[in-house]
Amino acid sequence: MPTSTVFTLIKQLLTKKATNPFPVKYTPGNMHAAASLIESGKLSINPPVDIPPNFRGKLSYDVESCIGCKLCLKVCPSEALAFKPDEKKVKHYVSRCTFCGQCVNICPKDCFVLTDEFLMAGLDNYSDELVLNP
Amino acid sequence: MKLTKTFDKALWVFHVNSGSCNGCDIEIVAALTPRYDVERFGIKLVGSPRHADVLLFTGPVTRKMKDRVLRVIEQTPDPKVVMVVGNCGSTTGVFYDSYAIDGPIDTLLPEGTPIVYVTGCPTRPENLINGVKEAWLFLEKLRGDDK
Repeated sequence: MPTSTVFTLIKQLLTKKATNPFPVKYTPGNMHAAASLIESGKLSINPPVDIPPNFRGKLSYDVESCIGCKLCLKVCPSEALAFKPDEKKVKHYVSRCTFCGQCVNICPKDCFVLTDEFLMAGLDNYSDELVLNP
Repeated sequence: MKLTKTFDKALWVFHVNSGSCNGCDIEIVAALTPRYDVERFGIKLVGSPRHADVLLFTGPVTRKMKDRVLRVIEQTPDPKVVMVVGNCGSTTGVFYDSYAIDGPIDTLLPEGTPIVYVTGCPTRPENLINGVKEAWLFLEKLRGDDK
């Protein structure tokens, strides 16, 4: 008997799910096995939800063009930057950063660029990936 | 207690706000919404640390919250994983020179507690799921299933 309930049910079965299945739909049986499959390209991961415009992600630091003026150190609200006096360059700790983008605005040489990268998690908050120009 | 394979498939999570600005808390709630839906991984937010396997800490630890944080950690049964969400909890972030802060959280935890740091200010819900992935990898290594 085709009632409105049946129509709604069929409609809901056919519509796309609201869930974005990042990175895989369900928990893999073994995460290490799944990680090696992803590395070899046998298993593809679903991309994350699109990031909004002007998203402030992890910083990228251009070591070559930095002149060591220390302006970024002055504006940083969370001491995420440290000066290396012998090199006259700065060191950036991503795990201390608040992603305010003030160093990007003040840098006269545009050494800092806010990238779209945001997948940063691990057992060490000062790992090599989370310290720029270590 | 022996770690079983079913342990990682149903991680029950308890959320502690230890002085957070509510940014990371919102992202944790967003991860539970149908858009991201962490319940498909068996992750469930519970109301008591006695039911939890994973503790989610957000925010630098304020002086008033320090004793409560320690108490919550003691109440959680072993084996447990601590997840520090956001940069405040992991390094105290913008509150690094505040007189009201006793953090970061890793200085208060007992020796050898496994901690997963989810970096971001605030993190995106995908990054939280990424942090859970790191926790799974850690638990598998603990069980000896990392082949």
